[in-house]
Amino acid sequence: MENFLNLILEPLQVLLTKFSLFLPNLLAMLVILLAGIMLAFVIKKILVKFLLALNFDNWSDRMGFTKLMRQGDLWSKPSVTAGTMIFWLLMVITLMSGLSALQLQAVDQLAAQFFSYIPRFLSAAMILGIGYVLAGFIRRTVLIAAANSGFHYAKILADAIHVLLVVLILAMVMEQLHIAPGIVLAAFSIIFGGIVIALAIAFGVGGIDAARRIIEKENAPAAEEEKKNEIEHI
Amino acid sequence: MTDFHQTGVITTLHQLGKPSLERLEAELFGFAKARPIALVLPALYSEFEGPAMPGIIQELTKVKYLNEIVLALDEATEQQFQRVRELMAPIPTEVRIIHNKGKRISEVYETLARNGLDVGERGKGRSAWMSYGYVLARGRSEVIALHDCDIVTYSRELLARLCYPIANPQLDYVFCKGYYSRVTNKMNGRVTRLLMTPLVRSIQQLTGPHKFLMFLDSFRYPLAGEFSMTTELARVNRIPWDWGLEVGSLAEVHRNYSPRRVCQVDIASTYEHKHQILSSDDAGKGLMKMAVDICKSIFRTLASEGVVFSDGLFNSLLVTYLRQAEDAIMKYEADALINGLDFDRHEEAKAVETFTRAIGLAAQAFTENPMGTPLIPNWNRVVSAIPGIFDMLLAAVEEDSR
Repeated sequence: MENFLNLILEPLQVLLTKFSLFLPNLLAMLVILLAGIMLAFVIKKILVKFLLALNFDNWSDRMGFTKLMRQGDLWSKPSVTAGTMIFWLLMVITLMSGLSALQLQAVDQLAAQFFSYIPRFLSAAMILGIGYVLAGFIRRTVLIAAANSGFHYAKILADAIHVLLVVLILAMVMEQLHIAPGIVLAAFSIIFGGIVIALAIAFGVGGIDAARRIIEKENAPAAEEEKKNEIEHI
Repeated sequence: MTDFHQTGVITTLHQLGKPSLERLEAELFGFAKARPIALVLPALYSEFEGPAMPGIIQELTKVKYLNEIVLALDEATEQQFQRVRELMAPIPTEVRIIHNKGKRISEVYETLARNGLDVGERGKGRSAWMSYGYVLARGRSEVIALHDCDIVTYSRELLARLCYPIANPQLDYVFCKGYYSRVTNKMNGRVTRLLMTPLVRSIQQLTGPHKFLMFLDSFRYPLAGEFSMTTELARVNRIPWDWGLEVGSLAEVHRNYSPRRVCQVDIASTYEHKHQILSSDDAGKGLMKMAVDICKSIFRTLASEGVVFSDGLFNSLLVTYLRQAEDAIMKYEADALINGLDFDRHEEAKAVETFTRAIGLAAQAFTENPMGTPLIPNWNRVVSAIPGIFDMLLAAVEEDSR
């Protein structure tokens, strides 16, 4: 009978022992989660106030970020959106940290992978942000330059260059995030290469006469000079 | 049938004989291919529950030459907005609704405010301005026509006659104001008859001939809410958001274009809409508020053109106006008698007393703050301040209409 009781109690004791060993980890996770949530909330509040003080919303309106948000059906203020994004990023980090406190092998691997991914994510975000501003700046510069030099299709040219730059930026971002890098690279090479070849062929076929005129114009002064020299010799 | 006399510095297009509506609409259908027409309707939800808007919708279902209809809906909840969409559905023309109280359009207003662009308070002026912006953002129309949504006697002839002078490429007009007689069994339109015309003529009497005053006096119904214009004008014009909307808009038209390119057209033989209370004791509502805003708008426009307003001038103006308004009452009484209309002389005199007080209040407000309420900036400036504003506006309306 005693043996039978031991047979029942021993697994329970092992379970209790394992649980007592696991309990501090669980508590640690809960504390990390709680502190992380509070910290994320406080950081979000401070960030939003900071961005408001910097007139981030106005800057976003001028740089076209707000327009992008609206076209994506996001209707909160840019500063609040940035704050919410940081909040959720911190929440994910907190969750990963909390899970890693459980010291479970599978979760540890997941957490390690996640943390190694963060630098890539941040650099991708930077490429996207800076690239978009730069693309917008180049579009405006091309538009002004083309319009001032009397080019009839200034807006179409500026828009086309903008689209090309955005495609380039998105390819860089995808590559940085390691999202199907092979496919992205191949697709980008095909699209970009295709566009360049198309432009080259279009110019080659359509611009033969223009190119001839330019070359003849370039050569004209040299020929004239030769003529002059001949006269002088006589 | 009216006479064919041309008055003032602008062109007057009369209704002579019985012009065929079918011919007018057929011609407009042809013109609209080269000059597509947008109809802007600033409306409150309550107007859909009254008698006016159902009648207007019924008439608009028969109109084929419009390119788009932009309805600026105010004072409507999300449910009411959906209801309005259902009510507008029978109209064959593409209808887009700007839901002014919706979260997306509210955010567009918020974006404007944080960039230092004051678009004023809710009202017809702000709604009309936002609708012009939407028409410009879409870039599909070259003519904008606007009429109120409380017209009980609406017929599609009104719209056709309103659009015609701007849509017809043979006529080189940029702005066309509608006019009509506000007559039922009595004469309505007290603010135009007893304030606007006597006031304009009184100022002319005191300060001498003035181009803007002559321009204002040329309109048979300067406070009519019905007009059409080119989209270019909608892009460059600033407009007031208060009751000074009509006068302020005319001031901007006068400032930007020659009177030769402005006309007025007889759009209806009868016109009936909701009436405002006189509110002689409260300058915050009714005709009293309207009168104060109109007077302030006139004073500020004239001041901006170099007219100097002193206390003495304002004192003389009150007396001169009173004389002019009393003369006007006599004229209208005679007009009512010959046409067998009811005419309450006491009510007319009370209205003049109220308007005299309104002129005094407007003069005081002008003296204290000559700059006054700023006009809503024109769309050229707004686009310069926020380059993506048109895309935001388009996105807001498109998402709302899904």
